[in-house]
Amino acid sequence: MTSPRTLSLALALAAFALGLPAPAAAADRAKIVVGATLPLTGAEARVGGFYKEGYDLAFAEVNEAGGLEVGGKKLPVELVLQDDTSTQATAVSLADRLVNSDKVDLLLGTYASHLVEAQSTVAEQNQIPYVNGGGGATKIYKRKFRWLFGLLSPVELLGTTLMQWADEQQKAGKLPKPAKIALVWENTAHGKDFRTGISEFAGKSGGAWQVVVDESFELNGKDFAALLGKVKAAGVDLFLVDAHLPDYVTMHRQYVSSGMCNKVVSYGARGSEKDAVQALGQENVNGILSGVWWSAQLASSNPQAKRFVDLFKARYGGRTPEWYQALGYETARILFAAVRKAGSTDREAVRKALAETRFESLLPGGWAEFKADVGQQVQNGFVIQQNMPDGSSPIVYPKEVAAAAGIAANPRCPK
Amino acid sequence: MNAPPPPSLAPARVAVLFAAGVAALAALPMVAGLSPYTHNLVTLTFLMVSGALAWNWMGGYVGQVSFGHAAMFGVGGFVAARLLLLEPPAPAPLAWLAGGLAAGVFALGAHPTLRLRGPYFSIATIGLGEASRLVFTYWEGFTGGSSGLSLPLDPGTKYRLYWWGLALVALVLAASWLIRRSTFGLQLLAIKADVEAAADVGVNATLYQDVVFALSGVVVGLTGALYASYFSFIEPNDMFGFDRSISLVLMAVIGGVGTIAGPVLGAVVFVLLRQYLLASYPQLYLGLYGVLLVLIILFEPLGLSGLALRLARRVRRRRGSPAGAAA
Amino acid sequence: MDRLVDLAVSAVLLAGLYATMAYGLGLIYGVLRVVNLAHGGIIMAGAYLGWQMHERLGLDPYLSIPVVLLVTYGFGVLLYRVLVRHLPRGAAGGPASLLLLFGVWLLLRNVAYLLFTGNDQAITTSYSTRAVPLLGSFVSLNRLAVLGIAVVTPVALHLLLRRTYLGRAIRAVAQNADSCTVVGVDVERIYAITFGIGSALAGLAGVLSATIFSFNPAFGSGELLKSFVVVVLGGLGSVLGTGLAALILAVAEVFAILVLPSYLTAAVGFVMLVLVLVLRPGGLFGQRVLG
Repeated sequence: MTSPRTLSLALALAAFALGLPAPAAAADRAKIVVGATLPLTGAEARVGGFYKEGYDLAFAEVNEAGGLEVGGKKLPVELVLQDDTSTQATAVSLADRLVNSDKVDLLLGTYASHLVEAQSTVAEQNQIPYVNGGGGATKIYKRKFRWLFGLLSPVELLGTTLMQWADEQQKAGKLPKPAKIALVWENTAHGKDFRTGISEFAGKSGGAWQVVVDESFELNGKDFAALLGKVKAAGVDLFLVDAHLPDYVTMHRQYVSSGMCNKVVSYGARGSEKDAVQALGQENVNGILSGVWWSAQLASSNPQAKRFVDLFKARYGGRTPEWYQALGYETARILFAAVRKAGSTDREAVRKALAETRFESLLPGGWAEFKADVGQQVQNGFVIQQNMPDGSSPIVYPKEVAAAAGIAANPRCPK
Repeated sequence: MNAPPPPSLAPARVAVLFAAGVAALAALPMVAGLSPYTHNLVTLTFLMVSGALAWNWMGGYVGQVSFGHAAMFGVGGFVAARLLLLEPPAPAPLAWLAGGLAAGVFALGAHPTLRLRGPYFSIATIGLGEASRLVFTYWEGFTGGSSGLSLPLDPGTKYRLYWWGLALVALVLAASWLIRRSTFGLQLLAIKADVEAAADVGVNATLYQDVVFALSGVVVGLTGALYASYFSFIEPNDMFGFDRSISLVLMAVIGGVGTIAGPVLGAVVFVLLRQYLLASYPQLYLGLYGVLLVLIILFEPLGLSGLALRLARRVRRRRGSPAGAAA
Repeated sequence: MDRLVDLAVSAVLLAGLYATMAYGLGLIYGVLRVVNLAHGGIIMAGAYLGWQMHERLGLDPYLSIPVVLLVTYGFGVLLYRVLVRHLPRGAAGGPASLLLLFGVWLLLRNVAYLLFTGNDQAITTSYSTRAVPLLGSFVSLNRLAVLGIAVVTPVALHLLLRRTYLGRAIRAVAQNADSCTVVGVDVERIYAITFGIGSALAGLAGVLSATIFSFNPAFGSGELLKSFVVVVLGGLGSVLGTGLAALILAVAEVFAILVLPSYLTAAVGFVMLVLVLVLRPGGLFGQRVLG
């Protein structure tokens, strides 16, 4: 039996730690404090870092202009950003702390659907606006939370948009009818939604599209030989995958090594990354289609997008932003726009402004609206890009923003 | 891990201290006016302490280190979640209990591995844990697949979980203490020291290990169930993940495996470290646990509680009290 | 039929990879009776080493193998001398050794994380996607190389263990360490060397893996678990057994896709691990000493 001293020690330690003074509360109206967590370490660290760039840019932009106009005054905005290490429990605890200890005025979201889904409960319970650009799963918004606003379009739409492009090609006779699809998806919320988008489209196509292979794989899988063998044996026309960057590289390497070739290949939102092109070689990524929430090419048709791209390049040494930074930036910017519209940082007022305003946006379509009937998740479309031999990845769909016509069937594949 | 046993205490005194402690913790939120954040943090700590103590029944009392306890955690969580998602939802305590029991039954499935000793058992638990994770993640109908399950948001639940968590901790602490003091506990120690010798003196090692593993499973399942209600959202990779299993091991070992204060201390430290150190130095927490593990294994098998005990002894000795007497 | 041949080829190649990863783990267990949970971390270290040499010195990963072997060997000896040496030997040391080496693994992960961030890396060479036709399907060059090394390594190990004094000393210590002390063998030195060789083999597996997969600091956990399966199946200490066990595991995993959804084929290895431990703790080949 252990001495109660040790037990008392444990309790004392706990009491001491809990009694530690919390960081200075931001109850004063001299500035606006926005709290957020991002996965800066852990599984999603790469993307978390990109989102941070977007957040930082938005905050810098407002502060450099003297502050955010709130009811006649200009108030500086401060971002309190914590690292949630891509873990659900940490994301929730940190959000709790930001709201109840640090007393932030508003919340920005984290990245990755399961983190957003868990964290948004904190916002809803504490009745504080939570705007996120990192949670794309429709499920998050099915709960119809009043305080949750999602700027990332549903991942199902990615699948649907991809299929719409393919459908166009099929109607133009460039792809066979009926056509067979191999659907391979990472077993995450993201992958599941991608798969839903594709299979639902195929299901409604009256036989024009048939999903003959439907398999999921574990994240960071190492050996896809058996899976790719199954796809090869099925003799499909479309090879559609949803994967993170490392799995994309590993799988495509094995795909190329085994001499596979399909008329249409897509890795979901992956495809045009420079890292991947380096790892795989340009000739091996030609023709790969990717569906993204935003592309820098939209700057030629969307003034908000152009403004953002110029701003980003100026701040980050001429680098062209990808959709991650765009979503991060836009999430913060729209929150600011809502505060401006509400004329105060009162939570209910900001919430109302978010729910009822049609915001100009850099997203495809030019507008962002948080409609209650879809749980306040935007439903903007995706843009489909295709890798070209010259190293570019022009948008090929939708037509309004397309920079090039897509190559339907990969010319390298034998008929 | 054969350090000298810590000093013993009269049961009556322990019971009084224990009751006082529980009462104090129960009254704390009302008396101290805790911020919701602190309140929730303590609730989470209660859950982690329960889990660590229950793990310790296998890892510390019986000496079978399990790296697969997340399987029971997950089963408990998802069974409870499913019951809470029914129309109309099952009353929460019932759902939690069902989760715990389901996890206990699930634990019995590991029966064949219980006759393995030492590293063989541990490796087998890794296999069981990972296989469970894959199967349950695939089983969309039960766990919702990678999307997980969202529970209806009920504002009072998270607040009240403090007292439910406290009740669970009190129960598990009491059980740990009772087991330790009982003949059953002695028999477990015998199994830990030498299974064959224990069998020779009539200890039914297989049955006892089954009992302990099942009990451990029930508590860890209960912890998982309460965890589900706490977060209102659970997903299989988080619930069944290897990280989850490892956290239970770390809490018990760093705190002091085999003792009672050990898992308590370990869980408290674990939660506090995550919250405070992690926020400022997120890149270091893995390495910190690694260093702690190495140091503890090499120098202080009773972990942080062993360290605390040594300090206490030294202080007592300096004060001039007779050495070795019961505290 | 074509499909089956494809699967068989994939299985053999995968077996090569698994075998390479498992040799080090098996050697250390066979001689020291210690389960090296840091094995995964050392594999990861080997991968990063090879990658760094490729990035900074432009060294082809296969040419960097000797360097990786040397460095990880040194690390293994160091690990033994500083930490593992203090562990109690035998059954009593079981959980302690597991936890200690697990702690080392966490440390390695953190160090890699601090040095290289958590981003995924890969070694890309001009021949990374090159493949040769074989039996109707295409086989990646890198995988063939791994298979080649997987076959050569046990031969080299066998020669070491049978034909050299060191090898005989290692085998003797594995059989009965106390008697060895009596006849003047420096058991501690043998243990350190064995740990070093085992680590070197892990490092080798790492740099080879880096030519095929992407990796990050968390790399190695899946590989470690697969290595367990192979080592336990093969009889913990039998080098020939390890090779055959790797083949059995690979075949089971690859052909499982014919009956299981692809996602669940990953569970096959774990189920096999538990079954073999429960049914035949001595492994399929029942050998407990180096053979």
